[in-house]
Amino acid sequence: MTRARPNLVALYWLATLALAATALVVVFTWTPTEQTMGPVQKIFYLHFPVAINALLACTVNFIACLAYLFTRRQRWDDLAAAAAGVAVLLCSIVLLTGMIWGREAWGHWWTWSPRLTFSLLLWLLYAAYLVIRSSFDDPTRRAMVCAVYGIVAFIDVPLVYFSVRLMPDIHPSSVSLEPAMWWTVLIFAVPVTMLAAGLIAAHYRLGRSHNLAQPDAASPRAVTSAGAIE
Amino acid sequence: MSLALRQFAALVAKDLALELRSRQILALVAVLAMLIVAVLGLGLGPQQLASGYAAPAVLWVAYLFAGILCFERTMAPERHDGALAALLLAPVDRSVIYLAKLTTNLLLMLAVVLVVTPVAAVLFGFDLAQAPLAFALTIVVSMVGFAAVGTLFSAVTSSSSMRSAPLAMLILPVTLPLVLASTHLLVALFRDGQPITQAALAILVAFGLIYLTVSWLVFEFILEP
Repeated sequence: MTRARPNLVALYWLATLALAATALVVVFTWTPTEQTMGPVQKIFYLHFPVAINALLACTVNFIACLAYLFTRRQRWDDLAAAAAGVAVLLCSIVLLTGMIWGREAWGHWWTWSPRLTFSLLLWLLYAAYLVIRSSFDDPTRRAMVCAVYGIVAFIDVPLVYFSVRLMPDIHPSSVSLEPAMWWTVLIFAVPVTMLAAGLIAAHYRLGRSHNLAQPDAASPRAVTSAGAIE
Repeated sequence: MSLALRQFAALVAKDLALELRSRQILALVAVLAMLIVAVLGLGLGPQQLASGYAAPAVLWVAYLFAGILCFERTMAPERHDGALAALLLAPVDRSVIYLAKLTTNLLLMLAVVLVVTPVAAVLFGFDLAQAPLAFALTIVVSMVGFAAVGTLFSAVTSSSSMRSAPLAMLILPVTLPLVLASTHLLVALFRDGQPITQAALAILVAFGLIYLTVSWLVFEFILEP
């Protein structure tokens, strides 16, 4: 069992890598080039699945935060931390790929359009989550504050969406693509989702083993009961 | 008067009596807000200020930092002498504790707004007389949402070793949409001279209600001596 698991993990990452390589080959050989935008439009095939996965990672963070608040199990806090880290990473990729696209399409790296502002605020919300995590020493306190923050931050996401709509928009709100292009999006979505899920799992396991290595920090109840026996 | 209402009144009266006798929070917070207004006014210069975009932004920066300090300070007395533990032992519903703290924060913040806004209006040539009621309505509704989040997070951080810098990290990103909606309304009011629209106000009211409800629900779980 203990030996089989690292093999499975390695297999998972190899599969992700292979699928990502396939997706890259497909996008440059098989997918037709878009007429008006040219080759730079191909960045969309990465941009879109990553954006969806960033929102999914935020959802995982929210569910883990809720679960922590109800159960007070350290493992939910570890999951929340892992999901938030991945959400920030994916959000950074969304911002960067979007900026490259915007530079070609609009001539600017950045404009204060609703979608762009939305992504930036999303990044800020979860980057703040990670910063807050590192400013606590007591793990139970940290888990509590972060759980409350995670819940409020996730509920903030639709509010950010509504408030940024007050600004003028130049980001395309709906995309009309050929079937071949949608297939490319799907082919990209598989390795990107696998990468997101794999990173969350790896980060979660790292957090778990870190906490289990420090039993007094992970379960303060054990300490208090031991203290009571003394 | 029902029991919950009497408890609520007693808690608010206690906080306000503390503040009336010490006058520490209001003095500190109002002076900080005025300093921020002065510093930003000096930094921006007359041309930027005349554009009409700067004044709402400067006002909001002052409100935000004043608010963070205010929420921190109103929660601070509970940390001393086991006050929070005694409060939790008392037969008072936690939502009443939350609403009482929120009301105290809201009253203090409105007092700060009353002090700072005229100063900013004079310094920036910001014509409040143009739409005083619309301005008051926008600010009161925004402050309810801001204080709702602020009260929640100040309670979360109260019994920890965290100080106000991380509290700002908690409050600022979460209140961004509220600030965005509110400043857009103010810019439309004072720069473009447009009347306040029902849709824009509805967004602000919805934000306030959502922040209030979520904070109120979560508050049950978080208070620990």
